[in-house]
Formats: sequence, structure tokens, C-alpha cells
Amino acid sequence: MPSTAVPKSNNGQNRGIFKNTAGSSTLITVTVLSLAWLAGFASRLFAVIRFESIIHEFDPWFNYRSTAYMVQHGFYNFLNWFDERAWYPLGRIVGGTVYPGLMITSGTIHWILHALNIPIHIRDICVFLAPVFSGLTAIATYLLTSELWSRGAGLFAACFIAIVPGYSSRSVAGSYDNEGIAIFALQFTYYLWLKSVKSGSIFWSICTALSYFYMVSAWGGYVFIINLIPLHVFVLLIMGRFSQRLFVSYSVFYIVGLLLSMQIPFVGFQPIRTSEHMAASGVFALLMAIGALKYLHSLNPKGQWKQLLILGGMLAAAAVFLVVVLLTYMGVIAPWSGRFYSLWDTAYAKIHIPIIASVSEHQPTTWSSFFFDLHVLVCTFPVGLWYCIKNINDERVFVALYALSAVYFAGVMVRLMLTLTPVVCVLSGIAFSILLDLVLKEDDQPVLTVENDESKNLYDKAGKLKKRTHETAPPPDNGLGMNVRSGTLIAFMILLMLFSVHCTWATSNAYSSPSIVLASYGNDGSRKILDDFREAYGWLSQNTAEDARVMSWWDYGYQIAGMGNRTTLVDNNTWNNSHIALVGKAMASNESAAYEIMTMLDVDYVLVIFGGAIGYSGDDINKFIWMVRIAEGEHPKDIHEADYFTERGEYRIDTEASKTMLNCLMYKLSYYRYDSGGSPPGYDRTRGALPGNRGFKLTYLEEAYTTEHWLVRIYRVKKPDEFNRPRLPLAKRTVPTSNIISKKLSLGGGSTTSKRRKGILKNKPTVVKGKKVGRVE
Amino acid sequence: MKYKSLLIFTILLTYYEGDAQARTKGIEEKVQQLTDMTAKKSIVSLNLSKFKEYVKSPPRDYSFIIMFTAMAPARRCAICQHVFDEYLIVANSFRFSPSYSNKIFFGMVDFDEGSDIFQMLRLNTAPVIMHFPAKGKPKPADSMDFERAGIHAEAIAKWIQDRTDVQIRVFRPPNYSGAVAFSMLFILVAGFLYLRRNNLEFLYNTQMWAVAAVFVCFAMVSGQMWNQIRGPPFFHKTKNGPVYINGGSHGQFVLESYIVAVLNGAVVVGMILMIEAAGGVKGDAVRVQAEGKRRRFQSVVGLVLVCVFFSLLLSVFRAKTQGYPYSFLFK
Repeated sequence: MPSTAVPKSNNGQNRGIFKNTAGSSTLITVTVLSLAWLAGFASRLFAVIRFESIIHEFDPWFNYRSTAYMVQHGFYNFLNWFDERAWYPLGRIVGGTVYPGLMITSGTIHWILHALNIPIHIRDICVFLAPVFSGLTAIATYLLTSELWSRGAGLFAACFIAIVPGYSSRSVAGSYDNEGIAIFALQFTYYLWLKSVKSGSIFWSICTALSYFYMVSAWGGYVFIINLIPLHVFVLLIMGRFSQRLFVSYSVFYIVGLLLSMQIPFVGFQPIRTSEHMAASGVFALLMAIGALKYLHSLNPKGQWKQLLILGGMLAAAAVFLVVVLLTYMGVIAPWSGRFYSLWDTAYAKIHIPIIASVSEHQPTTWSSFFFDLHVLVCTFPVGLWYCIKNINDERVFVALYALSAVYFAGVMVRLMLTLTPVVCVLSGIAFSILLDLVLKEDDQPVLTVENDESKNLYDKAGKLKKRTHETAPPPDNGLGMNVRSGTLIAFMILLMLFSVHCTWATSNAYSSPSIVLASYGNDGSRKILDDFREAYGWLSQNTAEDARVMSWWDYGYQIAGMGNRTTLVDNNTWNNSHIALVGKAMASNESAAYEIMTMLDVDYVLVIFGGAIGYSGDDINKFIWMVRIAEGEHPKDIHEADYFTERGEYRIDTEASKTMLNCLMYKLSYYRYDSGGSPPGYDRTRGALPGNRGFKLTYLEEAYTTEHWLVRIYRVKKPDEFNRPRLPLAKRTVPTSNIISKKLSLGGGSTTSKRRKGILKNKPTVVKGKKVGRVE
Repeated sequence: MKYKSLLIFTILLTYYEGDAQARTKGIEEKVQQLTDMTAKKSIVSLNLSKFKEYVKSPPRDYSFIIMFTAMAPARRCAICQHVFDEYLIVANSFRFSPSYSNKIFFGMVDFDEGSDIFQMLRLNTAPVIMHFPAKGKPKPADSMDFERAGIHAEAIAKWIQDRTDVQIRVFRPPNYSGAVAFSMLFILVAGFLYLRRNNLEFLYNTQMWAVAAVFVCFAMVSGQMWNQIRGPPFFHKTKNGPVYINGGSHGQFVLESYIVAVLNGAVVVGMILMIEAAGGVKGDAVRVQAEGKRRRFQSVVGLVLVCVFFSLLLSVFRAKTQGYPYSFLFK
């Protein structure tokens, strides 16, 4: 975005010119911030312009679905919503297992706009929510940086965060997810916290707590705040920077924030029952102890108070620590949950929780993805950190801790790059602002020459004038000189320009794909849209029974529910590992074993993603090994990972592949009747091989629908009477298809089948009916 | 011809029967001996004769897990020691577990003691862990694949469970070395502080803290955490000489991350030089009347550092990322 490069340079120069007038500096601030907002908003619209206004990926579909539910049924019904469409037959209590901040935010916007008689669809609000909030984030970052350093640095930071890829990766139009609003809440909370530490006023502390409440309602990452702020307080205590301001602000924030955060149903009693939150209460107790000691000190200022203070503080810290450990040991406080624990012990998730390790966002970060997401900021933010520590004060302690903890977390997990990005923008803003401030400021010379120089900024001719003054006054020649200054300026403008082009490129190429609509480019540059996902989900919603249950891998659960409006077995909210493992086991077993599982789970349709025909690498066969691993974790007797590899340990699908692999359900469903692809028909372009098992028939399932590019394949699970009945000659088979779907009993075969059917029906009502009745009431 | 083969067959048959009789008596004896040996040492050391007696000769009702290794320092097998340690953990966990039985025994063959065995099994690498089932010959899957499963004790135990259906819960002897090192460090630091208690000014030295913080940033940003978790090679050796930079954007070498850290560091140093040359931050305003020439020189050096090293960084990044269009100074 070239438009952002311009305000940056303007800002630096203009500050010099309009230094005295408060009005113009406000004007410049407002202009730059609104331009940053505009640039940030515009650079996030690639997906909308290239494709259409559509919700992206997986989780956003769930968010969108629940937002739509909330808008339709009202907030209280949303809180009580039991979703029987997910996790069949368990269902999911949505209201109690979701961070409602996102839905409330867009619901409120929707309500306000409709109150103003602006009829806008809730989907459009959801699509554009994140880009709009990026502007708010820029403003919050500006405020935070101004508290830390100067307003100029704040403007730099605001421009950086508006377009930096590390943040726009999670906030492009259509990516309707918690992070989009949570980064704003994060920055704003930190700003208010610094404000309250600086002023020590209860007002600002309450504001901090309120902002923290919003953050808690929006994203699970609030744990970062509730650990970082106590860490800040703790370090300040160690540094001997205890003050009444700190005491007031932290105790007010902690108590009010604690009570508010417990109002979110999903959080509930966690803030007082889990280890993640214990640091905050421990520091609170410590602060109280030290506050008491200080008070005693003030009663009798003479005497050996210093030693007592140190000793008392250490004793209090040890006591608090021991109490927490003891409570954890007794089971009053839950220990660290796996997700957080894996941040410390980096090998933990790999061994114990395959479902966490399987997500690509949870991998460690290489240097090139740091560079990709932050570009020039990655090598300038240490400069800002350097100067913050060199000129330390209460607030800068905070930003140093923020930077160090965030950079560690980002190194462990790619996903947490999101928490690093804001602080990197803040510190880089400080670094650039220091340098350009100095370079653009005039040398210490008589006032007259300064005025000359200023006119030089506007007129070309004056450049010579300056040189003359230099020549006339050689003795105090300790300035940098014009050449060095302008060289520096040009070089840094180039750097900033490279940064803005890089940001645009990265956002456009890497982060703006909706991933449910794919685009492929021909040799002549023509674009072809592959809309297979929506085609398949549309088919599901039009052609299957209202209560049909669709089995797929959990990645597609939210999309099936959101677009297809059908019941799913597992979805992206991976709360029940054993249920997921059961689906994985079905996919990894052979047809007959899988059929048993599928009848047990009442599956009507199976949906698989197959990318072999178009060379789409994110398909189910490539994910299959994780299904096997997760299934093996729960059913080690039946599934062995090694069976799916060749003797030499390769993962293949051609004739060399292992027998288990060639006969498992996932393989068969992917390659059934497959004859498209490359030069030999049936060539798999993703794996670059010809499938080893071809021309087979399916006994227990039948193909129901395959999309245009073979990307999504849907199969119908036959009822027991269908594959057991005697074979009819072709001429007599005139049964309309609708009858097959509506499960006509009259077609049933022998006595064995009817027995089987009875068995199934017997089980079914006990589970389903109760819920349905409940729903109707 | 026919008679001859028949003859051989009968001879073989009688031999086997006689043998079998001799050994069936011995099967309990063998198990007893092995149990005794295991009681002394959880891994039975095997040479050729023992190997033939306990493993090769047919009447067995127990599985044998054997590690083939080369532990002698002269063999310079660094990984053998690691694998042995993990293997020992598994063997010990099995021996002291409640599910201990005579169904499995753990053995070890060192190359220097039983090179004949290596030849017999046509092994030319070490270490190898093989499973000799109670019945039948070892299949290819009966030798463990370290590449895929890793060498952790848990992986070995899982593999054993795969092959023999005996579940071993790995019990690692608690590793106190970390705790000891930590407490040592703590005591050292505390002692140091106590000795210098009259002169604690250095703790207030912001320069030191700043250097430490900046170094942490370099380490993290250059992907040391990734190295720690993934354990990549230091650099890659190919026929055309060593390769220092991994071609893909999803991988990196250890040396590569050091290079990147140095490049980052150079940019930061350059920028700090420039700022100091231009007068520094207000906080340290007490600046000497430095002569303009030196300041200009310092500033130019800083500028060159920033531009050159940043463009180098950009070029390395460009080489790793397919289709990245931008570069600065260098291609």
C-alpha cells in the first residue's frame, strides 16, 4: 500500500514544521490514523474482490452459523442453545462452550444498523468485521505506543500494524474468527493498563478490567493478559518499584477483572480453579503482603525496615508458591492443560496429544516465516527493545516483558505469531521514530540557519544556502551533514516502501484464499474457479433428508453444518477425542468393519475430499495418516499405524502400497470409479502415482454424488436390507430412487435382515427421541 | 536321485527329532537360564554360541528382542549409545513391571563380540533392533525402523507391543540432572550475589539487560526453537559441496539459523550506530562534543550495515521462497 508509506514520511517531516501548533499535530494524527485504517481495510479485501463476499475456511463457518442463530433467536436463546446437529449422537451445548464476544459484537452492529433502518445482511457484517477492526487495532496500537514513547512512534506503529501480514493473516475479509477482534481487545487492554499504572487511578483500572472482560468474551488468548500483567507487577516488585499507583491499579484490576471474567459461561470457575490463572492470584497475595509491610514501615519510619521488607517479601512469595503447589497437589486447582503445557515442554504434545500435534498451526516457527510475516520489522524491533531497556521506566518494563514472552511463544507455535506481531510493530515504530526524529531534526546551530533550512524543505534553491552556512561557520561542525542525512532518509524510505510492497504481496498471495472456493490458473493466465465444496454442500442440503447424518473427517464438520445444514458426527471443535478416533477408525478399517461402526453411529452419508483429479494437496488421503494415528491412540488393538506403510516405511497409494491401505474405507471411497486425472485415466495427480487398487466394487455403500472436479465425493450408506436382498435382474429394477432414500421397509429381505433392522431401531429412539422431544418443547 | 533325497530327508527328520527331544527337555532349562540371566542384568549379552542356543534353535516359546550394535569407542557409533540407553530403559521397565513374564527376553549383540552373527543375518548397519518371534522367522517388519518411529523408549515399547502384544509401560528413572543443574546454577548465582553484596550496581546496568534481551530476540527470531524441536542437521553435504541454506521455506539448517541471526544482529547494530551518531535518545543527552567527522563516519557505517545486511537477508529469503518478487541491492 503506497498510501501508507506517504503518511509515514509526512509525519516525520511535518512534526518538525508544525512543532508548535497543537492543532495541526492533531490534524496530522487524525489524518494518518484514518489513512492507516483505510489502507488496512483496503489491503484486506483481496478475497472479496477476487471471489465474492464469502465466509472463509472452517471455524468462521461455525461462528457465522451461531451469529446467525443469535440474530434470529435472540441472545438468551443463544446462550441456552443445544446444538443437536453437531457431534451426533452427543450434541453440543453451544452457549456454554463458546466465546460469545464475536457473535455479540457483530450482533450489536447488526442491531444498531437495523435500528437506523440500514438493511444489511448479517453475513456482510461478518465478512467485513475483521477488516474494520484492524483499523481499531491500529488506533489502540497508536495509543499504546504513545504511552510508551511518543506520538510519532505511535503513528509509525499504527501504520505498521495496519498492513503487517502477521496480523492481516487472521483478519482478511471473510475470515470471521475470534482473533480478528481479540487483537484489538488485547492492545486496548494493555494501553489501559499502562494508563492505570501511570496514573494510579481507579477509573483507568476499571476501564482495564472492562476491556479485559471484552477480551475474555472474545478469545481464549486472554490467558496471555492474565499472566503478563501479573508478571509485570512481579518484576516491578523485584526491581523495587513498588508504589501506591501500582497497588491501586493491580488490586482493582485483578478483583474486578476476575469477577467479570467469571461471567462468561465458557470460562466459569476456571479463573479460581486452574493453574493458568494462579500466577495472577499469587501476585495479588504478594502485593497485599508487601503493601502491608510498607504500611507498617510508614508507621515507624526508623529501625531496620529494609531487611525486614526484603525478608518478608521473600517469605510471602515462598508461602504463596507453596500454597499453590499444595492446592494443585490436593486437586483443588487443576494442573496445566495440555495445550498450555505443550508451550513449555515442547515435546509433550507430539507424544501425548496427536490431535494437537496434527494441526499445522501448532508447529514451531522457522525463521523464514518470521520474516514472511514481519519483514523489515523483524530486524528493527530489537532496536526499539534496546532503547526501551536503556531508558527504563514502569511502562517500558511492561513492553520488554511483552516482547520477550511473545517472541518465545511465537517461536514455539506458528499460531502465536499473532500475539508477537503487535509488540513488534510497537517496538519497530519506536526504533524508526527515534532514528527519523534525529535525522530530520536540524543540527544544533543558530536559530537563523534553522529557519533557512526549513525554507529549504519547501524550495529547492535553499539547499545551496545551507551549504554556505556550513562553510561560514566551520568551528561547531559536529552535525551529520546534509549528505548523510538525505542518504539515510532515502535508504529508510526504500526500506519502508519494500515493507509495504511486501505486505501487500504477502496478504494478496498467501492469506487471501477463502479455501472453500479454489482458483487455478491456466498457462495463458486465464482463471478457473473450482467451486466444488459449495456444490457438494448445496447438493447435501437439497437432496438429503432433513435429519441425515453425514460422516466426514472433523475438518469439514463446520462447513457441512454451516452450508449443508446437516448433522455431523465430529467437527472442528475437537472436544471429544474418542468420538473423533471412532470416525478415524471407521475410515481406516475395511468396508465391513467400517460398516459396523457406521451403523452404530447411524451414519447416512459419508463425505470425503479427494484432490487427485486436480492436484489439490490438502485432501483426505494426505490427512489420512493422522486419522490412523488418532484412531490408534484410542483403539490400539485394531489399528496399527505400521500397517498403512509399505515394508520400507513409505506412505504410498500405488501397487506397492500395503494391503491394509489398499482396502481401507478411505482409500476405496477416494478411488472408487475414479477415471479422470492425467494421461493414463485414473492417475492421481496429487501423489503422482496410479492407484494400486482399481476397478473394485463397494458392498455397503453406494456413490451418491461426486462434484465436477472430483474434489468432494459423497456416498450413501446402504441399509442392511439393501445389500442382503436377492439380486434382481436389471429389467425388474424400476424402483424410484426416492424410495431407496426413504428406507421402504417393504423391500426387506429374509428374516435375518428384519432382525437386524429391529436391532437398529431399538437403539435409535432411546437416544434421539428424548432430545427431539426436548427441542420441540 | 529320488532315493538320495529321500535318504537325506529321513536323516534330517531323525536328526530333527533327536534334536527336538534333546531340546524339549531343555526348553524349561533354557527359560530358567534366561530368567536367571535377566534377573542379574535386564539385557542378556549374546555371543555366537549363546545366540545359536537361545535364539536360533527352534524349540522356543518366547520371543527375543535383540539389539545389534557397535558400542566400542573405536567404532565411533554415536547413535548406538543413545539407542542403547533407551533400549535399556525399556528392558528395565519390563523387568520391574507387574506384567513381567517369560514371554519376552531382551538381548544384545555387540559387533566386536559377535561379528559372525552380523554376517549370518546379513546385517551391515548398526544399531538394529530385531524381534525374533516365538514361531517362524523374522519378517521384514520385525526389525524396527528408527527413521519413522524414532529412538525413544516409548517408540520401542510401542513397536514391541505391535510385534508381540506385550504391553510395556515405560518407566523412566526420574532425571534429576536438570533439577540438579538448575539448583547448582541458582546456588552459584545466589552465592555470587552474596559475595558481591556491597557492590550490586551491576544489576542496575541497563546495558547488560538490554544486550541479554536483544540476544533472546535474535535466538527466537532466527528459529532456534524450531531447531530445538525438529533437530535438523547442521548443514547438508552433497556431491557439489556443502549446502548451507535449506531450499524450502518449511525447513532450515542449524548453520542457516546462525547466519540469519548474524544478519539480523548486523542490521540492529547498524541502526543503533546510526542513532548514536545522530545524537542518541534524550535520556543520554550528555554527549561529548564529538567531532563531526567521526559521527558522520559512524553514521555512514551504520547505514551501510543496515542496507547491505538487510538486502542479504532479503536475498536469502527470496532464494527460499518460491516466486517472491522483491529484492534490494542484491539479486
